[in-house]
Amino acid sequence: MSNPKHDKGEHYLTTPKAEPFLERLIFNNRVVILVAFLILTLFLGYNAVKIQPDASFERMIPLEHPYIINMLEHRDDLENLGNFVRIAVESREGDIFTQEYMETLKEITDEVFYLNGVDRSGLKSLWTSNVRWVEVTEQGFQGGTVIPDGYDGSRESLEALRQNVLRSNEVGRLISDNFRSTIVYAPLYEKNPETGEPLDYADFSRQLEEKIRDKYEGQNPNIDIHIVGFAKKVGDLIEGIGSIAYFAGITILLTTLLLFWYSRCIAGTLVPVFSSIIAVFWQLGALRLLGYGLDPYSVLVPFLVFAIGISHGVQVVNAMAMEASKGFDPITAARLAFRALYIPGMLALISDAFGFLTLLFIEIDVIKDLAVAAGLGVAIVIITNLVLHPLIMSYIGITAGGVRHVQNRGEKQDRKWRLLSNFAHPAVAPVSLLIAVIGLGAGLYFKQDLKVGDLDQGAPELRADSRYNKDNAYIIDNYSTSADVLVVMVKTPPEMCTQYNVLRAMDKLQWELQNTPGVQSSVSLADVSKIVTKALNEGNWKWFEISRNQTIINASIREAPAGLINTNCSLTPVLVFLEDHKAETLETAVSAVEAFAADNSSEEHTFLLAAGNAGVEAATNEVISSAKDMMLIFVYGVVSLLCFLTFRSIRAVICIVVPLGLTSVLCEAIMAVSGIGIKVATLPVIALGVGIGVDYGIYIYSKLEKYLLEGKTLQEAYFETLRSTGKAVIFTGVTLGLGVVTWIFSPIKFQADMGFLLFFMFLWNMVGAIWLLPALARFLLRPDRMLAKARASK
Amino acid sequence: MATWKMRETLGAACLGFSMALSAPAAFALADIIETPARKTDLAPQSLLNDADRAGERVVAVGERGHIIYSDDEGQTWKQASVPVAVTLTAVDFSTDRDGWAVGHSGVILHSSDAGASWELQLTGIQAAELAIESKETRIGEMEVQIEEAPEDQKEDLEWALDDLIFSVENMKADLKIGPVNPLLDVWFEDAEHGFAVGAYGMFLRTLDGGASWQDWAPNLDNPSGYHLNGIARITGDALVVVGEAGQIHSSVDGGETWELRDSPYTGSLFGVTGTGQVNEVLAFGLRGNVLRSTDIGRSWVTVANDNGATLNGSAVASDGRISLVGNGGVVLMSTDAGQTFSEHVRSDREGIMDAVPISGNRLLLLGEGGVKLTDARGRNPQ
Repeated sequence: MSNPKHDKGEHYLTTPKAEPFLERLIFNNRVVILVAFLILTLFLGYNAVKIQPDASFERMIPLEHPYIINMLEHRDDLENLGNFVRIAVESREGDIFTQEYMETLKEITDEVFYLNGVDRSGLKSLWTSNVRWVEVTEQGFQGGTVIPDGYDGSRESLEALRQNVLRSNEVGRLISDNFRSTIVYAPLYEKNPETGEPLDYADFSRQLEEKIRDKYEGQNPNIDIHIVGFAKKVGDLIEGIGSIAYFAGITILLTTLLLFWYSRCIAGTLVPVFSSIIAVFWQLGALRLLGYGLDPYSVLVPFLVFAIGISHGVQVVNAMAMEASKGFDPITAARLAFRALYIPGMLALISDAFGFLTLLFIEIDVIKDLAVAAGLGVAIVIITNLVLHPLIMSYIGITAGGVRHVQNRGEKQDRKWRLLSNFAHPAVAPVSLLIAVIGLGAGLYFKQDLKVGDLDQGAPELRADSRYNKDNAYIIDNYSTSADVLVVMVKTPPEMCTQYNVLRAMDKLQWELQNTPGVQSSVSLADVSKIVTKALNEGNWKWFEISRNQTIINASIREAPAGLINTNCSLTPVLVFLEDHKAETLETAVSAVEAFAADNSSEEHTFLLAAGNAGVEAATNEVISSAKDMMLIFVYGVVSLLCFLTFRSIRAVICIVVPLGLTSVLCEAIMAVSGIGIKVATLPVIALGVGIGVDYGIYIYSKLEKYLLEGKTLQEAYFETLRSTGKAVIFTGVTLGLGVVTWIFSPIKFQADMGFLLFFMFLWNMVGAIWLLPALARFLLRPDRMLAKARASK
Repeated sequence: MATWKMRETLGAACLGFSMALSAPAAFALADIIETPARKTDLAPQSLLNDADRAGERVVAVGERGHIIYSDDEGQTWKQASVPVAVTLTAVDFSTDRDGWAVGHSGVILHSSDAGASWELQLTGIQAAELAIESKETRIGEMEVQIEEAPEDQKEDLEWALDDLIFSVENMKADLKIGPVNPLLDVWFEDAEHGFAVGAYGMFLRTLDGGASWQDWAPNLDNPSGYHLNGIARITGDALVVVGEAGQIHSSVDGGETWELRDSPYTGSLFGVTGTGQVNEVLAFGLRGNVLRSTDIGRSWVTVANDNGATLNGSAVASDGRISLVGNGGVVLMSTDAGQTFSEHVRSDREGIMDAVPISGNRLLLLGEGGVKLTDARGRNPQ
């Protein structure tokens, strides 16, 4: 990266002397380029419109992690174990033993039966024939369906129903402990067994809303319906992606208003907005052409692209307005603006892109996709906002009002900049540094509580007060169940999964786990065998044990749920229910299993981690914690290197990077304090924040250096810096902040977390550049030496 | 040494077991009768099957080799060290310090420190070997008997002999698998003399505090090998054993000889208790059946009980109050020596296996959900 101009002591960034080749190429072929852009926009725009939402489960998990490899390898064996919906039908007043309630429940059961995707043979409710009561008699077993024969809704038959429910063993499972609600349990087909088509989660979830919730809550005002299950959650997520369109609208509107307030020029407002929207279309179109869909993470990238586009557009408008105020015509103003900006602009954008690309180190596809989408977007912004934007402006020019605005505000503005330039004052700088050190200390102190993973109850993807999580809380409160399941897969040679030793080993593992903090309960074939052995011995608890007699074991598990044995009996799962999905809970459980597996595996049985939502989260957490430091090192390494290559000074690197570091630490402290963990959604924030945040420093420092080399004192140089670029930098910070702040209202929790943190990062990095950079410069830079060195090399 | 011999046979049995699987494991799991019970805070909340008093102390046994004891009327519990991790089914203390616990895999454990620590006295392997030995002796006797018997009796005897041979073969086959059958109850008269009963007619006696055991099954009229579920001594010193198919056996000579009583019920009886009155017996079991006798079981009356839940355990308090407990959270109470009962169904509906009367007219209930401290009726304290 040797640069002859730099070697001569001139800064290649800020003082391109002649018309560079690129400028000639672009401005001498304006029409050709605009037509080419038009065609490209039509083509990519067409593709952008056709892009599909994609909430693929696999892309959100670390596919390289051994747990996930195990899980995917045995996916077919575990089928249907986790994929079901539970529909709790609650009676608002009174209990479930009324004719009206039972009638509605019957209709709902029938309706669910006919929903596309439901495994009808596994459907369970009080009204299905597989829900039975059993009683031991002298002759053996006696039993029947829970709905009594000849049920007619009369008081007698309701009383018989109540008796059957009490002896059915389903209280706490299908019937809530308080008898105010019952569950319709519907296992789902991952793939339609007839057509082989995968389940359409969005459609299924919509049907649950329309055909079940809306219809029956409307029909019977005494009924509340609560629905939980993976399919419903994914459906809600996909719907959440849709609502992002509103945020896009609000963001564009806010940005436009702000831009107009800034430039007071219609052209200077609409053209950057237009160019940035073009950038978004290109980015989406290119993504689709590359085979990507819009997942809940990458859907946020267009916002970033838009905001970055605007922030660079502002620089163009700013520069053009200045040139125009000097009396240049639009085309000359545009050329001068281009000449002044294309190198620092490209440098800033390239450093953004490198910041994003460090995300590729994290072995989770959505994050990699995010890196690609954001990197691509930034590359596009170089074309749209550094080329297209000045080109269009060269035809339109800044309006007279815009030019007047630049001329008028000079005096008033200067007083403000004069005040702010005190950040470089020898008396103020130490105070600033002291505050920064205190802030750093406080940040380091609070960030000790920073946790990996998701910290809230319920489905972490959705908000705590979302319909889904409220439903989930209802079901957890009223039924004996947990939403956080870790699945340990026990692998045996074929046809050996029910052997005595295997059950015994599983039972031992389960007891170890149940004695592990954070584990609520567990279920496996061993429990089924013990319970049924007890039942086969006239319900006598003294027989609650795994029999050594294989014939008895086989009899005891004949009716075991299908998910507990795979087709050739070589795999049987242990389901471990956890109290929550905090990283510590997961870690403790997982390491208990690993320790047990190390001591108790044999040729007969090995213990494989992990499936279930908790298994996936445990794997994700491991990947995230090991990637976190690596990513930080790379992103700071790349940014520092770029700064060093640009300014050839370690001191410059420190001036620019230290404020970023302070922001990163404070961001982590804020995460710790507000209960946001490091997870798939928040890890990229750090890379994005640093990658984009460095732009401010680059703009400020390059100007500051320029004025110092002109022989000004530090404070004077900083005053000039603020005057020329300070406003654009502040504006950029605010625009970027506005670009992401609307996400805070997203129904998807992690989008809200990302929005909140990025908002903080963008704004605070800007503050760091304006406030802390000059203070550091006061201590680190030696203007006289810089000048001497520059003169000497001349 | 009895224990030494036991280890040997156990080793041989395990070898046989793994050979039967034809794939000896690299790190075979230690057998459950060689695995000490894991120390756990969960024991008082896990399944407990039976309890008894060792002096003032309450000792309870349950799943996974759990034995817990309390010196403060059930407020706090400590877990004993137990050399096995099988489900234990019953416990009995004959002195303040000497107690025995029995359970699955035919284990008999002994404690001489009021339940704080336990040692293994017998496993199902030895119990089965004892039974096989006595059956083979009986086969030899019968073969002689058949030779000498008159022609018209020969056929019946040969049938009986075939049954016996078949059952020995079965037991030998089971023995290859391991100690398959559980003991279900135990009772000791003093520090030396005691009995244990169990599945498929297992019936063992010791005269030396469990150092050696005899197969006592031949002394009981139970040719079909029905399960024996409970044994108790009633006021007046008679012994009663109850079991599957409504069996009731009684002995008035300390267990030397036993007599099968006519039973008005053909379902399983799970427990038996005296009422505190001389020669009175209550037997109870499947579907809430309660039988009462005032003459050591010669005649019975059926006690009315509307609740159809199986009854598992009993307790007689010092004031004569009798409690019967069972599945589905049922607690029955009688204040007239078992002639009539009033019922309370606990809202948790968990199965209750046994009850222990404690100070202040209260009960300790033990069962599916561990220990519960309740009032005399089985209700949770207010």
